[in-house]
Amino acid sequence: MVDVLSPTTPDQLRDAVGWALGSETPLEIIGSGSKRAYGHNVQTNAVLDCSKLSGILFYQPEELVISARAGTPLAEIKAALAEKNQQFHFEPGNFPGLLDASNGPDAGTIGGLVACNIAGPRRIKVGAARDHLLGFEAVSGRAEDFKSGGRVMKNVTGFDLSKLMAGAFGTLGVMHTVTLKVMPNDETSATVIVACSDPRAAGKAMTLAMRSENEVSAAAWIAPEDAPHLDVPLAGEYGSGLVVLRIEGPQPSVAWRADALCRALADFGECHEVPESHSHSIWKVVADVAPFAAAENSDSTLWRVSVPPASGGDVCAQLIEKAGGRAMMDWAGGLIWLQVPGSDIPAATVSAVRDIAAAAGGQAVLVRASGELRKTIPVFHPENPALARINAKIKENLDPHGILNPGRIAPISQNGEGA
Amino acid sequence: MLRMPEPDQNTLARRKDIIAAMRDIIPSPGGVIVDDDQLRPYECDGLMAYRQLPMIVVLPENTQQVADILKYCHTHKIRVVPRGAGTGLSGGALPMADAITISMMKFNRVLDIDWDNRAAVVQPGVTNLGITRAVEHEGFYYAPDPSSQIACSIGGNIAENSGGVHCLKYGLTTNNVLGVEMVTIEGEILRIGGKGLDQAGYDLLGIVTGSEGLLGIVTEVTVRILRKPETARALLLGFNSSEEGGNCVAAIIAAGIIPGGLEMMDAPAIKATEEFVQAGYPLDVEALLLVELDGPQVEVDYLIDRVGKIAKDCGAVYSRISENEEERLLFWSGRKNAFPAIGRISPDYMCMDGTIPRGRLSEVLTGMQNLSKQHGLGVANVFHAGDGNLHPLIMFDANKPGDLEKAEAFGADILKLCVAVGGVLSGEHGIGVEKRDLMGEMFTTDDMKHQERIKMAFDEDQLLNPGKVFPTLHGCGELKTLHAKAVADKFPDIPRF
Repeated sequence: MVDVLSPTTPDQLRDAVGWALGSETPLEIIGSGSKRAYGHNVQTNAVLDCSKLSGILFYQPEELVISARAGTPLAEIKAALAEKNQQFHFEPGNFPGLLDASNGPDAGTIGGLVACNIAGPRRIKVGAARDHLLGFEAVSGRAEDFKSGGRVMKNVTGFDLSKLMAGAFGTLGVMHTVTLKVMPNDETSATVIVACSDPRAAGKAMTLAMRSENEVSAAAWIAPEDAPHLDVPLAGEYGSGLVVLRIEGPQPSVAWRADALCRALADFGECHEVPESHSHSIWKVVADVAPFAAAENSDSTLWRVSVPPASGGDVCAQLIEKAGGRAMMDWAGGLIWLQVPGSDIPAATVSAVRDIAAAAGGQAVLVRASGELRKTIPVFHPENPALARINAKIKENLDPHGILNPGRIAPISQNGEGA
Repeated sequence: MLRMPEPDQNTLARRKDIIAAMRDIIPSPGGVIVDDDQLRPYECDGLMAYRQLPMIVVLPENTQQVADILKYCHTHKIRVVPRGAGTGLSGGALPMADAITISMMKFNRVLDIDWDNRAAVVQPGVTNLGITRAVEHEGFYYAPDPSSQIACSIGGNIAENSGGVHCLKYGLTTNNVLGVEMVTIEGEILRIGGKGLDQAGYDLLGIVTGSEGLLGIVTEVTVRILRKPETARALLLGFNSSEEGGNCVAAIIAAGIIPGGLEMMDAPAIKATEEFVQAGYPLDVEALLLVELDGPQVEVDYLIDRVGKIAKDCGAVYSRISENEEERLLFWSGRKNAFPAIGRISPDYMCMDGTIPRGRLSEVLTGMQNLSKQHGLGVANVFHAGDGNLHPLIMFDANKPGDLEKAEAFGADILKLCVAVGGVLSGEHGIGVEKRDLMGEMFTTDDMKHQERIKMAFDEDQLLNPGKVFPTLHGCGELKTLHAKAVADKFPDIPRF
């Protein structure tokens, strides 16, 4: 039977990890469990459930900062921010919805969001969760409290461990408190839509848009078959794929830049400006990767391929050609979502995807796949061996007995190694 | 007084052999500096209160030479102090008597500009402004702009995670760097990050940035370049109190406006700079705000108008808008010359660098005035009001016995005050040796030990930049030991299911 420990205070959290350390009992660490299917399965006899470490500790809109216990539901935090017309600038979408159909919108906790370093369409301009985490407090695998950073946005006091904790999937420490930078919502936004079915041409259009002086805050491409997902009256009429480009800021500036962008992209195809009322829904679809949501795509495998943005169009075309399936681009081509039919795909397809990504200087992560597939291949892109050695030492130094989420990032190999 | 690790006599005794080995690695004339008079320029960095002649200075020319030097140092257990342009303000490049200072200033080439990915690949000795110079003909620039940008190197910026006056809107170095090539103390050449936005494994780029030369030596840097805003305009706003000025900053941000630059100066700083550069600053106000809006012309005009109205509502008693580029630069000239302006009215000054939650500004300024009386030294304040980074300039006379010690004590009290209100010791200058012994104000021993454990993953023998950042270097054995107190029995109070 699996033992579930649910600490309600940071002290209890430390004691729970202390018990695990003393009894050498590895822990699976979860918040609400919404992203449990991301990465490798952690098979342990004990689960450390952090969802009771919950609540906003302070939120100061004029200081652009919020601090909360890691188990605070994201929905609660988003509601608090919305009330003050603010947001997380890195625009996390409904990532859990890609993993499991039972995850509702805004599923998950703030700690989970940070631990997985989630980021949405605006990443191309403002970065990911890592760039907005100002500080944290945690318990390491040594069962000791440690913290880093603070609550101010300009801080170079000591090593920036916040960067390390964001994206570490709980393998270095269990965060109980996180403090993040927030930003005001923009006064308005507009979306420029260009009809474009060929991913290579779409890549070129997005690159041109990003190089322009129009401060594009998000650039994505939706394939013809997925274009109807965009709740835009125009989308259905095109019958083609769409490049979507977002402009945000004060009203007169947005209007001026959207016009300029349309003019700059005239050569790529028919160009339209979508007003704010529809702009929001378009970017929710992109942030949530709605066309590939688990609910409608149960029997499929989903890849997240990250490459230098300007090579995205070319990589996207190659992926569709070699691996089959459907694709969508975000981050001006820097992020390609590739959905391949079937939840168990041949090894040749796996290596084709990884090889194409690597050849472009990028990487491919398996986001949704059958449990079997996730057991047999590394979910995350294999690390460069020299970096892997340093990562292994960091893991060993912070979690010497390997009790925190063992095997979550790299599957446990025969000889028991792995993070 | 500053205590550095004791020089290793064994290393000092082998100096001749070490010089010969370095000359084998760097055969070019001038690549290995050994004479006292030529070592002298390297005896300090921008923190000139502390000086020490290095054992040797080497100037490698390529990555392989850096790898060979570090491999040699690792094999022979010789300490290493990495150095960029030497403009750092916290003593991060302070030499050691038994260490090789590695100057990276021969790495001065721009390697590649990738316009489509909006990235520049440069060597670490390229200056911060040099990057902008290399891309501005296409309308691009590199955003972080520390005030030393004309001289400081991008490698040094990575080491210190440098900021500047535009951090609120554009972030620090860490938010603008995409990748590095770095050599470890073992001489291994690593490539971390790249033009793509994700990297496999832990965020090593994030931990290397701001690590003050304790983890490795960066030999190549890839940074994000941005399109230069079409235009920029600035407002000068005067207030009868710093509290009103602070409230105005809060009101601007509450209105959803994130200015490119948002600076504040107190009365002593206004007076000193106005006497120095005649920027046209009002002398009858207690706080002066400099607000810069950048972007397309239509946006800037629109926001200038809105900020002007907000300022009026907040009780601004003085308001002036730059009407042309010349006037905008004049507004900035005062702020940018604040340090030399203080240097003009005081024989010496010490620049502090704490960050505070903005809302605590007036409280901190009042506290600082009290400390000023207590220590008997004057202080002027310039403040990156947008991001809370405060630069108190403590005025003293180093030729007056006891004044330096008084200034150091005053500075330490200011930083303690910053930490007490929820702030931090350093916003952009780094810890180095200057604030090293204050780390305990912010961090527990366990906090620092966890940072040191990251250091251990890169440099187990603690050869890279010893004596910096951490007040006490714990031995590797101690860092690896598990403390019994941590290992608890299964705790009865934890709810279980």
